[in-house]
Amino acid sequence: MLWFNIFKKTFFGALLSLVVWWVAGAMHFPFVFQVMFVLYVVLGVGVFILLDAPSMAPLSGGMALVGLVVFYLGVSVFFIGGAAVLPQYDPSVEKGKIQKLLAPRLAKTEYGQQLALQKQVDALNQQAESIMERLSVIGGTAVAAVGPVTMESGPFDLAAFGDDPVAAGKEVYNLYECYNCHKLGGKGGTKKRGPHMDNLGNILTKEQIKQKIFEPMLFYAEGFEKEYKKGLMPKKYKELMTDGELEVLAAYLVTLKDASVNTPKPVFP
Amino acid sequence: MNRFRAIAGLTGLLVFSAAAAYAQVPEPQPVDLPYGGNRTWTWVAAQLHILFAAFILGAPIFVVICEWIGMRSKDLRYERLAKEVTKVTAILYSMTALTGALFIFVLLVAYPQFTSWFVARFSPIFAFIYPGLFIAETIILYLYWYTWDEWQGRKKARHVALGVLLNIIGTTTLIVINGPTSFMNTPARAAGDADIDLKTFVFEQASVFELIYNFSWIPLNIHRFIGNVVFGGFIAGLIAAYMYMAAKSDEDRAYYDWMGFVGNLIGVGALLLLPFAGYLLAYEFFEYDASVGPYMMADQLSMFFEMQGALVGLIFLASNYYIWLSMKRIEGLETVRGTIGMPLMMILFPLVMLPALQLAPLYEGVISWSAFFGLLIATLVLPPIIAKIPPFRKWTMSPTTIIKLGFLMVILGNAIWMTPHAFVATQALATHETELPDVGFTIGAFAYSTTDLALMPTKNVAVALIVLVTIINFLIYNRAIRRGRIQWGKIDFISQYVLIFLAFSAIYTMSLMGTVRSLVRKYFHVYNVLPDFTTHSFTPTLVYSGYLWIAITLTFYAVVSFAIWVSLRPGPEKAKVPVLAQGAISESSVQAPTK
Repeated sequence: MLWFNIFKKTFFGALLSLVVWWVAGAMHFPFVFQVMFVLYVVLGVGVFILLDAPSMAPLSGGMALVGLVVFYLGVSVFFIGGAAVLPQYDPSVEKGKIQKLLAPRLAKTEYGQQLALQKQVDALNQQAESIMERLSVIGGTAVAAVGPVTMESGPFDLAAFGDDPVAAGKEVYNLYECYNCHKLGGKGGTKKRGPHMDNLGNILTKEQIKQKIFEPMLFYAEGFEKEYKKGLMPKKYKELMTDGELEVLAAYLVTLKDASVNTPKPVFP
Repeated sequence: MNRFRAIAGLTGLLVFSAAAAYAQVPEPQPVDLPYGGNRTWTWVAAQLHILFAAFILGAPIFVVICEWIGMRSKDLRYERLAKEVTKVTAILYSMTALTGALFIFVLLVAYPQFTSWFVARFSPIFAFIYPGLFIAETIILYLYWYTWDEWQGRKKARHVALGVLLNIIGTTTLIVINGPTSFMNTPARAAGDADIDLKTFVFEQASVFELIYNFSWIPLNIHRFIGNVVFGGFIAGLIAAYMYMAAKSDEDRAYYDWMGFVGNLIGVGALLLLPFAGYLLAYEFFEYDASVGPYMMADQLSMFFEMQGALVGLIFLASNYYIWLSMKRIEGLETVRGTIGMPLMMILFPLVMLPALQLAPLYEGVISWSAFFGLLIATLVLPPIIAKIPPFRKWTMSPTTIIKLGFLMVILGNAIWMTPHAFVATQALATHETELPDVGFTIGAFAYSTTDLALMPTKNVAVALIVLVTIINFLIYNRAIRRGRIQWGKIDFISQYVLIFLAFSAIYTMSLMGTVRSLVRKYFHVYNVLPDFTTHSFTPTLVYSGYLWIAITLTFYAVVSFAIWVSLRPGPEKAKVPVLAQGAISESSVQAPTK
């Protein structure tokens, strides 16, 4: 009876999985969504097998204890497995971003200056030790070339971009994660959060872009009145971004002139 | 005179030495903790403390309700249940204090500068109010426990009142400590149009109350309060499952079967509210800073929410499965029939409410709130009325068929809840090829599109559907027990694993959501105010987090299991438990455990 129950439901589950797979494919769902839908069919089959399964024989004493331990292990593996199969965000990407964003801020603080000083002292100490070692080896007749004290590289430095403010602006766009609400080049931004950026350069001047980033309530994009009223564009960038970052971001955005994309016009309330 | 000069000189020397010694105390520097680093150890200590705290705050709510019901109904099973859970709570209370101390020490070692500033900024809370409340709660809890046997009979109301006082103090403690916690997520801005930047306001101008009364404080209070009740209910279910498995007599099995049912009922009852409280909290984050919304739901934390969706779906499936198993032990179930009203409601609800919510003022704003609520009421009221009309009255179903349909709807609702805009770990990787396709159709004013699957109105309706099905299942269960007779102690043994799974999943989900709440701050200790300059301020991978949640959950489980074993293990006097007749209640039928 149990096996018949399992066989019957598995058979219908397999048929349903095929149908779901085909329908999702015909509707152009990406592969991973098709897998997800089929997994839900499998879950349903499992649930229905369980619903009609015969009662479990009671466990007692040592068997109950073993049963519990096996159950905990099973659930733990299942939960960790669930977390493992989902896409993982690569922390090294964020570490790089954080370093770029925070290093200049850290340098301005007393603590940051102490750290920098300490690093310089450590580096000098290391070099002094290295010189002493070499001197002791060669009997003090030769002096090794001492290089300059180096700092860890990585902070976002506008000067590093030289005469290329557009490249610097692109970096700022990514660092402040503008892609979370805006689509650009077909990437990022979900439906109805913020307007597409691709044709912004034909719609706004550089000055207007700068104003919009620091004072989001000055105007809104056509068709986004509701989002504007809700204040979806955060006001925080005035406090988070430097004037230099704003300048290069606007310099980048104003170069976006893909007329095939519908970037909405501004509306001044 | 010389003696005076000597004393003065010595005193001066001492003062000078002390001042010089004090001046030489270096600024506290963080210590790099091995095996995982500072953030991981802080994470583990904080999470363990929160789990124990949630239990000792949630269990008394559950306990006092049971004690009160027992007092009013004279059903001594409630009295026994309340007393047993309190006994475990009293043991775990010390674990809360110990893990709290561990958390503070780890903070001081790992983040000394931030911790010093934070404690000093909220000094009235950390120096006086919080310790005061904790001490008061300790006194009341032990008073509550040690007066249990003494304050019976006419004094019972006094004991219940003491339990209520315990809960008031416990909940106040929760509300107070939620102030600094929520402040880290949504630091308060200056009121009105005052042109004061956030940092100046937070560092120099805001009063402690202004800092506490921030955007997410009240939603966090609501969310944690409900979460604690859920937790208390599910842990009571866990206690019942362990004791059922260890029970030697039919009487004990009957009692612990009933206890598991009550624990699950309260846990699931509160769980029905939890998604909405969580939504309110997330909404306040979004209101505070709209960029937090996509960061959580579509960007770096989106897969954490996928995991949460899967877990909550499993919890609802498990709780409904428990109802199913409970139904199976009802004598005379085969005589019960249901109309097509409930099934019709389950099917109509998503079909009507999905477009209706999209068109409601909260989203598109095409229809008014009154029109929306009119549709909602019609969806809930019309199906049962239609089912009573003569042509349809004859169409009946067994309760098991209706519940099976409910399972289908829960799986469907959960699948919708789990469908993201794109299966990517960050929005930066979302491209047309990874996103939902745009395929749709319209029926009158209602528009359906596959892209809507990822939007909030759809998620809201999916969650509401799961909640609705669970309520319907409870209603059907209630109808069944009015007609039939429950055979306590005869429940399928697998139900005990379901109770354990519910508690385990609830703890795991709590750990997950606590992590999300912390990670929402990105690389800040206090969002947008105080950056975290350490090397640990990045978002960990989901799988790394998964390992930690399991480690935390298993550690918590091990301690709770030990506490249950120590406090409730069968003693020699348990063998003398009198017979508990099926469903009958008498003073002699239940033996309260000894201290």
